[in-house]
Amino acid sequence: MSPLQLGAVVAVVTTVILMSGMPVAFALGLVAIGFIVIYDGPQMLSLVPEMLFSGLEDFTLVSIPMFVLMGAAVASSRAGSDLYEALERWLFRLPGGLVVANLGACALFAALTGSSPATCAAIGKMGIPEMRKRGYSADLATGAIAAGGTLGILIPPSITLILYGVATETSIGRLFLAGALPGLMLVGLFMLWSLWLCWRRGMGHHTQLAYTWRQRFEALPRVVPFLLIIAGVVYALYGGIATPSEAAGVGAALCLVLAVVIYRMWDVRQLWHVLRDTTRESIMILMIIATSILFGYMLSSLYITQSVAEWIAALDVSRWVLMLWINIFLLIAGCFLPPAAIILMTAPILLPIIVQAGFDPIWFGIVLTVNMELGLITPPVGLNLYVINGIAPDVRLPTILWGSLPFMLCMVVAIVLLCVFPGIATWLPDAVMGVQ
Amino acid sequence: MAALARLIRFLSRAFGVMAAAMIVIAVAIVCHMVFVRYVLGGSTVWQTPLVTYLLIAATFLGSPYVLLVRGHVNVDLLPIYVRPRARMALAVIANLMSLAFCLVLLWYGIGFWHEAWAGAWMSSSIWRIPLWIPYLSMPVGFGLMVLQYLVDIHDLVSGREPPFGMRESAP
Repeated sequence: MSPLQLGAVVAVVTTVILMSGMPVAFALGLVAIGFIVIYDGPQMLSLVPEMLFSGLEDFTLVSIPMFVLMGAAVASSRAGSDLYEALERWLFRLPGGLVVANLGACALFAALTGSSPATCAAIGKMGIPEMRKRGYSADLATGAIAAGGTLGILIPPSITLILYGVATETSIGRLFLAGALPGLMLVGLFMLWSLWLCWRRGMGHHTQLAYTWRQRFEALPRVVPFLLIIAGVVYALYGGIATPSEAAGVGAALCLVLAVVIYRMWDVRQLWHVLRDTTRESIMILMIIATSILFGYMLSSLYITQSVAEWIAALDVSRWVLMLWINIFLLIAGCFLPPAAIILMTAPILLPIIVQAGFDPIWFGIVLTVNMELGLITPPVGLNLYVINGIAPDVRLPTILWGSLPFMLCMVVAIVLLCVFPGIATWLPDAVMGVQ
Repeated sequence: MAALARLIRFLSRAFGVMAAAMIVIAVAIVCHMVFVRYVLGGSTVWQTPLVTYLLIAATFLGSPYVLLVRGHVNVDLLPIYVRPRARMALAVIANLMSLAFCLVLLWYGIGFWHEAWAGAWMSSSIWRIPLWIPYLSMPVGFGLMVLQYLVDIHDLVSGREPPFGMRESAP
C-alpha cells in the first residue's frame, strides 16, 4: 500500500473511531498506537510513553493552563456583567445599540478569557434575555452571542494561536499581534450585519431609556484593571520582554487576585470552582495535545505526512485554489474536532505546502483560526450552540442556527478579505516587531 | 464492590485536587521566576523544568478526575442520534477502546518508569534531577484511569449511569 492509500485508510479509521463517542484524546492515541503496532511492530510500543511525555515537555505549553486559569478567574467573577452593563449604558441611544453592546462585550470578554463557551455563557446569560425583552428577535439575539463567543480563539491572548505557534514554530507574539486587527474586523462585520438587520426589521428603538453620565462611568473602574492586565500580557509578549508562559503566569496570578479583591471572591468554594474548571479544561486540552503529537508522529513515520504534502504540491493547481481546498478541509474537520486537535494534527502536513505556495505562515495561522471559529457554531459539535441552548432553553436549536448563519457568512467574508488584503493580519506584527 | 467503586471515585477526585494544586504551585513558581529574572536581574535554574514537569504530572494524574466529571471532549454525533439500545452498545465499545488505550499506556508506562529508575536517568537541563520522579506520573495516572474506566463500565452495565450521561431518549 502506498503512503497515500495508507493515509486514506488512517483517515477513515480515525473517523470511525471518533464517531464511537470515545474521548477525542484517547481516540487519537488509540489510532496512533494501532498503526504503529501494525506497521512498525509491537516493539515500538515501548517508545510510546516517552513520545507522550516529551510531547508535553515544552515550556511554551505551560502558558495554556495559565491562560485557562486567567479566563476562569475572570469568567467566574461578575466582570462579564459589568462589561456588558458599561457598554450598554454607553450605546443605548444607537438603534440596535444593545446588540452592538453585546457584541462589544463578547469581544472584550473573549480577550479576557480566551474561551468561547465561557464568553457565550457570561455575556449571553444577561444579554439574550435583555435583548429579547427589548424586542429583538430571538434569532438575532442568540446568533449574535454564538458568533461573538467565537472571537475568544482569535483575539489575543488565544490558546489556539499558541498551539499554532508551537506546532509550526512561529513566534507567538507575532501571531497574537496578527490576530488583533482581524479580530476587530470580525467584530465590525458582526456589528454591521446586526445594525442592518435592526434597521430593516425596525427593531431596537428604546428611546424611553436614559442613563446619566454617572451611571455610564459607574462600572468602568471595576472592568478597566482586567483590560489593563490583558494589554500588559500582550505588551510583554510582543516586546520580547517575557515568554508566553511567563506573561501568562503573572497574568493569571493578577487576574485571580483582582477577582478576589474587586469582586470579593473570598469564598473558598468559589475559588475551588475556578480551580476545578481550570484543571478540567487544561487537562482536557493538554491530553489532546499529547495524543495529537503521537498521532502526528505516526503519520510522519509512515511517510503519510510527506506523501500528502508531495501529492498536493504535484497537483499543480493555482495557490488560491489550493487555499480554497485547504479551507474547505479545515471547515469540515472543524465541524467534528476541537481546534487543538486539528492544528496539531494538520500543521505538520499543511505548513510545508503553505510555505511552498508562497503564503505567510503567520497570515495562514489567522485564516486557520477564523476557520476554526466557524466550527464552534456549526453542528454537530458546535459547542457555542449548546451553551446558548442551555441559557435560553425556549429558543429552539434551528432558530439559533438560523440566527448564526449570517454571522458565519461574516466569517467567510473575513477569510476572503484576509486573502485579498493579507496586510490586515501581517501589517501590525511587521510594524511592531519588524519585517521577518 | 460498591465500596471499591466509591474508593476509586474518591481517589480520582483526590487526584483532581492534587492536579489543581500543582497548577496553582506552577503559577506561583512562574511568578517567582519572573520576579527573580526581571526584578532582581538574576538567572533561574530550576523553575522552568520544574514547572514543565509539574504540569505534565498534573495532566496525567488529573486525567482520571476529568474522566469522572466527563470533561474529556468527544464527538457525540452518533450517540445523540441512535436509539437507546444502540447507544448502550456504543458506550460499552467506546469505554472498552479507551480502557485498551489506558492499559497499553499503563503497561509501557511502567516499563518506561522502571528503565529510568534502574538506569538512574537524569534530566538533561541544567537542573539535574532523577527522571523517574516525573516519569512516575504516567503509570500512576494511567493506572487510576484504568480503574476509573472499570468503574465506569461497571456503572454502565449495571444501569447506574446512562450511556454518555444522556438520560433522556433520542430527540
